Amino acid sequence: MKSGNDDPRKSDGSLNNLDRRLNQTLKSVQGLLKVPGKILLSRKGAEPAAPSVSSPAVSPYRKDVDEEAGISPNVSGAASASTIKADASRSNGSDTSEGVAENERPSSSPFGHSSSSKGSSTDTSRPSTGGRATDSARVARFKKELASPAVNLDALRELAWSGVPPDMRPIVWRLLVGYAPPNADRREVVLERKRQEYIDCIPQYYDISDADRTEDERTMLRQISVDAPRTVPDVTFFQHPEMQTSLIRVLYIWAIRHPASGYVQGINDLATPFIVVFLSEYLEGDMENWDITKLTPEIVNNYEADCYWCLSKLLDGVQDHYTFAQPGIQRLVFKLKELVRRIDEPVSTHIEEQGLEFLQFAFRWFNCLLIREIPFPLVGRLWDTYLSEGDAFPEYLVYVCASFLLTWSDQLQQLDFQEMVLFIQHLPTKNWTHQELEMVLSRAFMWRVMFQQAPSHLSSG
Amino acid sequence: MSYAYLFKYIIIGDTGVGKSCLLLQFTDKRFQPVHDLTIGVEFGARMITIDSKPIKLQIWDTAGQESFRSITRSYYRGAAGALLVYDITRRETFNHLASWLEDARQHANSNMTIMLIGNKCDLAHRRAVSTEEGEQFAKENGLVFMETSAKTAFNVEEAFINTAAKIYQKIEEGIFDVSNESYGIKVGYGGGAGTAGAGRGDASLAPKGGCCG
Repeated sequence: MKSGNDDPRKSDGSLNNLDRRLNQTLKSVQGLLKVPGKILLSRKGAEPAAPSVSSPAVSPYRKDVDEEAGISPNVSGAASASTIKADASRSNGSDTSEGVAENERPSSSPFGHSSSSKGSSTDTSRPSTGGRATDSARVARFKKELASPAVNLDALRELAWSGVPPDMRPIVWRLLVGYAPPNADRREVVLERKRQEYIDCIPQYYDISDADRTEDERTMLRQISVDAPRTVPDVTFFQHPEMQTSLIRVLYIWAIRHPASGYVQGINDLATPFIVVFLSEYLEGDMENWDITKLTPEIVNNYEADCYWCLSKLLDGVQDHYTFAQPGIQRLVFKLKELVRRIDEPVSTHIEEQGLEFLQFAFRWFNCLLIREIPFPLVGRLWDTYLSEGDAFPEYLVYVCASFLLTWSDQLQQLDFQEMVLFIQHLPTKNWTHQELEMVLSRAFMWRVMFQQAPSHLSSG
Repeated sequence: MSYAYLFKYIIIGDTGVGKSCLLLQFTDKRFQPVHDLTIGVEFGARMITIDSKPIKLQIWDTAGQESFRSITRSYYRGAAGALLVYDITRRETFNHLASWLEDARQHANSNMTIMLIGNKCDLAHRRAVSTEEGEQFAKENGLVFMETSAKTAFNVEEAFINTAAKIYQKIEEGIFDVSNESYGIKVGYGGGAGTAGAGRGDASLAPKGGCCG
């Protein structure tokens, strides 16, 4: 892994000039580099890139902290939280222990939401979740931004890119996808109108008899009904009959109103992060114990409407991923293959020699935006970054997939075709925390900046 | 593991008929009542024995939804065997067989062995397609037919193994040019049983040795 990832970094000598976000990212990554066994990037690149980081801020690695966390060295959250804090306040005296306590395993709570109720031994004033997201300075910045009469979306994107505190996700996501207007005065009015528009669709499209549907519509509804029980089957909450109906309704109405693609399998997966986030406004505690029947029909309508609109907005940006023959996905798979070749020649050569096609594994990655590849509780964090990317998202996704794949560069090179397919089909992410995920996202971000600064890398040689 | 031959399979059929469950039952000997729906393709492999020869099966399990056809079609070409699956409790999955067959005939090599499978035969009380209808369709189209249950494992081994036996028989009859990989067949090392296993790397080495036609 070391050797493969060195190359693109060596060629880049101008990292000092990158924007502040990259500096933040690099600092976080430098924090990760201190973690034994997690050295995924060469130090060579990271060091000159983050000259302003003082060593006390990036070295919060303490034995007691490690034990407290109870899992593998959980220091990245602390490193990133503290460095960003230092960055924000220009002070090196931040309390690094906060971030560590927060950076718990996501456990069974929805995207880290509301697990604070259990965390009695740690500071109970905050929900425990992924490191950076709940750092108090960052929470304050989120609050400040959201309280503004007109939210500055660029500023919000920059903040949200590194993770959104779970209790703020509903509002932040609605803003990021362009569903809720930034202007606070207009927000409630617009949301109310849009929700009503969705609600009006229910009697018009969904609550009608099969006789009033076309053959294609019947087929689509049947398909969605077959797929609903197979949507994140490992999360039992989704199996409740009322939840199933709700999911079917959102997907069917979306499909009816988007005839260019209609319903394509995988879109059901894409609805699930929105469902969980928007239900978290109304349901508390562990997601596994959620009961949608406790909600009034009005609330169900509203949450569904939010899911519908946000799903629509997300899919608007990747329209040709789900139209006939899915050209958008084919294009991204091709780009991924090219990118991997440029970043990691040995693994690229090995994959090719073994006869493994990128389409054979990366199709699902792009079709479901990696939801299937990581533990469900981490998906919210992943989507914070996705949704912050805005129009640049599809392109960024290619970098994320490259970063994801090359997490196992060393292992892959030891495997033959069959072993490789089986390995990639079930990548060992089961015990992943925010730490590993953020590593993937940060590295993807850096690669993108580097390749964009060196366009010759992108044109074929 | 060394093998005498490697056969490539493809599993096709409407969405939700149990293709992935059949594969899981065959490779892992377990049943997952609620299986993730397949996006694109998934892969499985297992060793079997035909005529005392070790045969490796590499199986591509395809997504059933129409929208994925353009992706999954490319898997026909290199397949020696196909399992065409319908669900005996859902009539429409049987009605679509002709279109699947047409797809297969158009994109696969003409000697591909096709096994017709009526799955979910444990749900007899919900049966919507009779065994006779399945047999009839198979007969008319020159397919081998079996009813299976991925849940109880009934006939699952047989479905995969009988398909392999058919392919093996065709090899013996000289129908295939086994040096041509496009038939979905590779000749391996260690044709005889009991050859010392070469372990990892064998799968990739073997075809190179056997198929430089």
